[in-house]
Amino acid sequence: MSQSLRPYLQCVRASLTAALALSDFASQTSERHNVPEIEAQSSPELLLNPLTISRNENEKVLIEPSVNSVRLSIRIKQSDEIEHILVHKFTRFLTQRAESFFILRRKPVKGYDISFLVCNAHTEAMLKHKLVDFIIQFMEEVDKEISEMKLFLNARARFVAESFLTPFD
Amino acid sequence: MLLLDYQNVLIQSLLTERFSGAPPVSIDQVVSDFDGVTFHLSTPESKTKILISINVKCFPELVQYNAQQVLEREYGPYIVAPEPGYDFSVLIDLENLPAEQEARDELIMKLALMKRNAMAAPFEKAFDEFAKLAEEASRYTSESAPQGIKEGGEVMAIHYREEEAIYIKASFDRVTVIFSTVFREETDRIFGKVFLQEFVDARRRVLTLQNAPQVLFRNDPPLELEGVPGLQRSAEDKISYVTFVLFPRHLTPQRRYENISHIQIFRDYFHYHIKASKAYIHTRMRKRTADFLQVLNRARPENEERERKTASGRTFRVQG
Repeated sequence: MSQSLRPYLQCVRASLTAALALSDFASQTSERHNVPEIEAQSSPELLLNPLTISRNENEKVLIEPSVNSVRLSIRIKQSDEIEHILVHKFTRFLTQRAESFFILRRKPVKGYDISFLVCNAHTEAMLKHKLVDFIIQFMEEVDKEISEMKLFLNARARFVAESFLTPFD
Repeated sequence: MLLLDYQNVLIQSLLTERFSGAPPVSIDQVVSDFDGVTFHLSTPESKTKILISINVKCFPELVQYNAQQVLEREYGPYIVAPEPGYDFSVLIDLENLPAEQEARDELIMKLALMKRNAMAAPFEKAFDEFAKLAEEASRYTSESAPQGIKEGGEVMAIHYREEEAIYIKASFDRVTVIFSTVFREETDRIFGKVFLQEFVDARRRVLTLQNAPQVLFRNDPPLELEGVPGLQRSAEDKISYVTFVLFPRHLTPQRRYENISHIQIFRDYFHYHIKASKAYIHTRMRKRTADFLQVLNRARPENEERERKTASGRTFRVQG
């Protein structure tokens, strides 16, 4: 793990653990409704201060806490066109499977690549520290995966080009 | 499978089976090949006479570049009038085959290479033109050369697919082959760029490839194609022009046959590997997603609803 990645992940871990103090909260605006307040944004008193943690301009995390839900959005590093398309493909692949990922939001928040929405129902049914572990592991591995795919593509392209040109000799 | 075969494998296996002396049966099969080429294998008269017809989209263009002569050279005695809806037909009589096995295999191969041979005509024409121009040019010094030699021959265009074409131009010191290729998707475009960049760099990087043709690519039509009608200049870099510069050492009569086959297959090879990379990346993402799911599922506490038993095997029952 590189020098700057460790404190970045540590900071995300601490902030997320703190933000995940959620409680059941019925909607104030409509009776017998119980909605994630961070999505409904019905009343400012229910929202807490959003927090951005950035490693650099290309990699950052936005944590938006509220009384009964937390929204966490990740911007994944993409230094060039290839990484951009790989990140796009990968996040799309994940969001299409949002159903089985419980906490994955179907659409990322504007300006970010992928978003998670954790409600009080999730923290009640699942272990909170393991949820945080999941997010951290996701952030670690997604970068690794993207760069490995890019390396693979370059290696294959090189090999393919050389094999095509060799018979001309 | 890294390099693609030049011949049509289905035709090859069909004919090998027929030629092997198996009892004749009637055939009626449409076989498709790359670039929208279709073949039709049938036995219209009797079971021993196989008619093989080919349909190429750009056949009228190929005929302009002497395709008929090339095909006559290759298939001379077998040629018959083209079947309606097809461009060229040959008729093989199973009772009248060459006696030796080797000659039979050669005939099978020749028939399976029908697409290659049809498409080879403009290349052969360009290579001949190169030889002529080179001979003429050797009589002049570079200053006194008349205009016609410097410029080289005309550009031959083969529109072998919708929106895509091969352009061939002969000059006195090289033959330029330009492929225009269209990327339907953003991903293909970017993957294609990575691949093409490697084609360009391979020659510089690898010592053993110093003798390979020079490869160039760009998104706007190259200068060689100036004034050629029907060129598309599309936005968003959807079209790429890939130029192969074949040098005299690629054009010698000994190398000619192999090199024509090989350069023809470029577009299919290139797109095939883009698709293959996409497929690989897709399976990789699928696996990674499964891994993530596993991690997430660890967060769910295990259900402890299992039936509890005492040491002697008796179970508890809730009293109603």
